[in-house]
Amino acid sequence: MTVPTSLSVADVQVSFGGNHVLKGVNLTCEHSFTGLIGPNGAGKTTLFNVISGYVAPSSGSVHIAGRDATAASQTAVAAMGVGRTFQTPKLIGDISVLDNVLIGINGQATLFNQVREALFFSRSAGINRARARDVLAQFSLSDVADVEAASLPLGSQKIVEVCRALVADPTLLFLDEPAAGLGRDDVEHLVTPLRAWVEKHGTSVVIIEHDLELVTNLCEDVAVLHLGTIIARGTPTECMSHPQVIEAYLGVGVAKDT
Amino acid sequence: MAGSRINISAGLAVRIAFGLASIALAFLLPSLLNPYRLFLATLIVVFATAGVGLVIIMGWTGQIALAHAAFMGIGAYMTNWLFSDVGIPWVFSLVLSGLFAAVVGALIGYPAARLRGFYLAIATLAFAELITRMFVEIDTVTGGISGASIEIIQLFGLDSDQSHWYIAVILAIAVFWGAHRLGTTAFGRCLRMVRDAEIATGSLGINATNYKLFAFAISGFIAALAGGLFGQLLTFATPDTFRTTLLIQFLVVVFIGGVTQLTGAAVGAVFVITSRELLQDVGDWQRFAFGLSLVLAVRFLPGGITSLVGLLKGLRRTDAHEAPTVARAQ
Repeated sequence: MTVPTSLSVADVQVSFGGNHVLKGVNLTCEHSFTGLIGPNGAGKTTLFNVISGYVAPSSGSVHIAGRDATAASQTAVAAMGVGRTFQTPKLIGDISVLDNVLIGINGQATLFNQVREALFFSRSAGINRARARDVLAQFSLSDVADVEAASLPLGSQKIVEVCRALVADPTLLFLDEPAAGLGRDDVEHLVTPLRAWVEKHGTSVVIIEHDLELVTNLCEDVAVLHLGTIIARGTPTECMSHPQVIEAYLGVGVAKDT
Repeated sequence: MAGSRINISAGLAVRIAFGLASIALAFLLPSLLNPYRLFLATLIVVFATAGVGLVIIMGWTGQIALAHAAFMGIGAYMTNWLFSDVGIPWVFSLVLSGLFAAVVGALIGYPAARLRGFYLAIATLAFAELITRMFVEIDTVTGGISGASIEIIQLFGLDSDQSHWYIAVILAIAVFWGAHRLGTTAFGRCLRMVRDAEIATGSLGINATNYKLFAFAISGFIAALAGGLFGQLLTFATPDTFRTTLLIQFLVVVFIGGVTQLTGAAVGAVFVITSRELLQDVGDWQRFAFGLSLVLAVRFLPGGITSLVGLLKGLRRTDAHEAPTVARAQ
């Protein structure tokens, strides 16, 4: 399925001191699932950080749904409908899974409205709760909605984080190694409902992942980042067979995998 | 299904009975206790109320805030000054002092929101020192180093001890209720997000700095409200009252009680006031005891006394599975 270009990264450069992490990266997002792969230290997470406003690029531009987001703050980028997850789940351990997911909606409310909701009650709280429960149900997490997030295994915590990002109904979703540390079953529990969600909501998902089988299954479009440069772009099969990719990243392992 | 419905209504009945009993107790306590005991009970309620401010800033927002005693001082001095010198009714004086402290709290929060750990601790402690220094300097309001006697208030038909008790209870109910609502709704979740995963707040639309500022302001507001009443109980305030000794007592209140729980502030207040009474004769060793109990609590029971309930439940549940946990706030 093709969706309109929701993301356009043009010639983005980032250096930390003398260390050039991104050396002129171009990336557009024209499909439901775009894969971003590459060896550790290639700059994948830094690229996510640039797009979501955590890191300012030293040059280049980022456009989200046609709007310039190059110098936008993290909260401004979030307000443009961009959600993301992190390599290690960033949940609150001592509140329930449901409450964690609710933050995805709550974060968008102004402080003033939050205080008003707290002191004068509001109708939206119940609606939000139902929405959060619905997302958890889609990812088969209804049973644990009311337990403390810290008591969940790591794999489930990562899926909860995806739910927290999805409940805000983002148009663009960045997943940073969602399958790392997940068992085969967990990956299925993540991928199947995620695919259904994207199908229904038209979300564009950009996914950093080392699990190449997952990338091949999920992504129509793959970009390979190596030492701060995109060295290959295309369908998973095209990328995996690209000589530079094999040399730089996959090495001899690819022959065994495919 | 039917069973669970009966359970819910039974639980509700217990709650209602408990609530009514508490209200009756609060009403009757002045006639049950001698004036000194009533004074201690009032002190517990005031300490618990002030503790709520620390729960919000330290327990929920994860910020080290060591100016709490100084904020109580602002409440004590300013309420008294507005009431006895300016002539504003006491309740309005109290609220105005609270609002002023909230502004000062936000001012402290502004630079503090950019600091972490040690640096935040030092900065807030320095601010506390600055505020107590101001208590010495602004002697038209505070009476300077020699202190100010507090004009005691009385509600119609009650003596001052009884008046203090009822005001303390009403204030505590308002503060605990407000904090409970803030803590269990969107605002409280976002605060905890700032505490546990500040890095992820931006991508969720949460502006961490604003939440820290607001939490500092609320914390100062509550401290000053409690402080206004604390001044009434002291009857005489000097700048020294609001220094580290009092601060340590508040740290004991929240860390012994359980810094992430509102009930922790109540439990901790009972602990501190009771210990103060029992240790009255040991002089400076009292400070030593508070310091030691703080160290022991942080080392061996970081969740405070209220966490014992959860721990005991956990012990009973023998099949509890080991699972990786996400970071908890200290």
